[in-house]
Amino acid sequence: MHSAPPLLARALYWLLGVRRQGIESDPCTINLDGKPVRALEGQCVAAVLVRTGTWDFQRNPVSGEARGPYCGMGVCFECEVVIDGAPARRACLTDVRDGMVIHTAASAERVPA
Amino acid sequence: MKQGSYDCAIVGGGPAGLTAAHLLARAGASVVLLDEQETLGGQYFKQRRGVVRRRYGDYRQEGSSLIAAVGAAGVQCLAGTLVWGAEDGALLTSRLCDGAIGHLTARAVLIATGASEECMPFPGWTLPGVCTPGFALQAAHVDRVRIGRRVLVAGTGPFLLPAACALLDVGARLAGVLEVNTPYRLARSALPAALHPARLVELAGYMARLRLHRVPIRQGWRVLEASGQGRLEQVTIGPVADSAVAQPEELAVDALCVGYGFRPSAELAQVLGCACIVDPASGHLVPKTDRWGRTSTKLVYVAGEAMGIAGVHAAKARGILAAAAICEDLTLPCPAPREVRAAAWTARRVIAFARTTNQLYPFPTSLYSAIPDHATVCRCECVTAGEIREAAATGGQDIHAIKAATRAGMGLCQGRQCGRAVAALGAASRGVRATPSEWFRPRLPLKPIPYPAFEEDSGVQAAR
Repeated sequence: MHSAPPLLARALYWLLGVRRQGIESDPCTINLDGKPVRALEGQCVAAVLVRTGTWDFQRNPVSGEARGPYCGMGVCFECEVVIDGAPARRACLTDVRDGMVIHTAASAERVPA
Repeated sequence: MKQGSYDCAIVGGGPAGLTAAHLLARAGASVVLLDEQETLGGQYFKQRRGVVRRRYGDYRQEGSSLIAAVGAAGVQCLAGTLVWGAEDGALLTSRLCDGAIGHLTARAVLIATGASEECMPFPGWTLPGVCTPGFALQAAHVDRVRIGRRVLVAGTGPFLLPAACALLDVGARLAGVLEVNTPYRLARSALPAALHPARLVELAGYMARLRLHRVPIRQGWRVLEASGQGRLEQVTIGPVADSAVAQPEELAVDALCVGYGFRPSAELAQVLGCACIVDPASGHLVPKTDRWGRTSTKLVYVAGEAMGIAGVHAAKARGILAAAAICEDLTLPCPAPREVRAAAWTARRVIAFARTTNQLYPFPTSLYSAIPDHATVCRCECVTAGEIREAAATGGQDIHAIKAATRAGMGLCQGRQCGRAVAALGAASRGVRATPSEWFRPRLPLKPIPYPAFEEDSGVQAAR
């Protein structure tokens, strides 16, 4: 009886086509504005942030409006974030690595100057 | 930092650049291949990386094989290296990861810088959540990420369809595909497409997929406005032509992909002094070349989408033709004549198809006059259409006067996105049509590079 739940779970995984080497076996956690976010190593930072619903990457220096990734190929410079302390890194051209620390405009506003 | 000297430097690691690099290295040339992105492949052959690749396999196996072949042939691959200018016969580079400045020399330079997406400003297009179809497609295919739950795809061009299907692949729901033009109907202009059955099969595949998911494809419709509080929440759509039957509608979406075709990236060619002509299809400036890709500047060549938009098959063929020309000019052993002849034939055939495509999906220049005054045109400097029109009406003789008066085009993208719109709005208030020769001229650095990089290069210590 004890082996039933894993067996059942395995059957369910098999039926759903879920491969066993899930996120669990490829741990990659980044720190997004102080919160841990799971990702797959090799995904681009812009895609990872958008997956978590984060579109507010930076503030336009002229108007202060929120801006997020637009072109996704390094042309528009709208997806710039702070990565591991380095400012103005284009999120669309950078891949995530385990332990990467990312700050968007949202966190910059919370931190008192 | 000196990065060596080579027989040939290829700028751009997409289909054209990779194909040419492979052939040239096989012919015995010392080749350096530079690309701004950390991984070779360009946009079409963009590679999955790391765990994503291990889990989902290669995206476009052909590209992965080509990249492997290029490496095996002995090409020096400098991925993650931006070419931001040229001076005294040397290409100036900057490393993406730390901005470190470098320069390298080459006897021949092949420009294979590809293209970027064309835009058409509308109110709210700067809101986070509005992006190009290219971003959505790459996020879906390469990174396996869904950019939104409910997405609207709009603009013009055949590229909207694969982008929409990519969104379906990763489980997004589509609020619709809006096509400004009316290409999907039987018309005389569509007849030449019958000569390209493979493309028609591809089109039918996308259409079937969208039909299966009950995605409405609305031709002659466009996005009028995007709105939301600091984030896209709602899109107003309406017919292009004023109509008493169809009224504007509002859709709740969390992402909007808008693209109006592609814009050849010919900035480096202009900096290298190549004579440019107006590409009749895209309306953009492209280098004037012979059919091999030789420009007016000696030993500078162009291949791929930077010559004009024609798709991946043309890019590969033009890569072969350019490589053959470079081999001939550098007196290296030429590629097999059969291969070159086949490439010439492919290029001619595919470029003819591109002409058909361009007739079916013309860039909607007339929409410029419909941009409302409050819409931001220059994203970087937040200049509205009204401000540009006013500057043009009050003495802005040309685009440079408008730029000086409003700062339009002075931002980080250097006018790549708004240039055409600014020129069109300015010309419209003078009652003339804008020609690309009046658009913003590329300036060094071709893309912003970090200032500390300059300090290090010149040995200047910043005053603190």
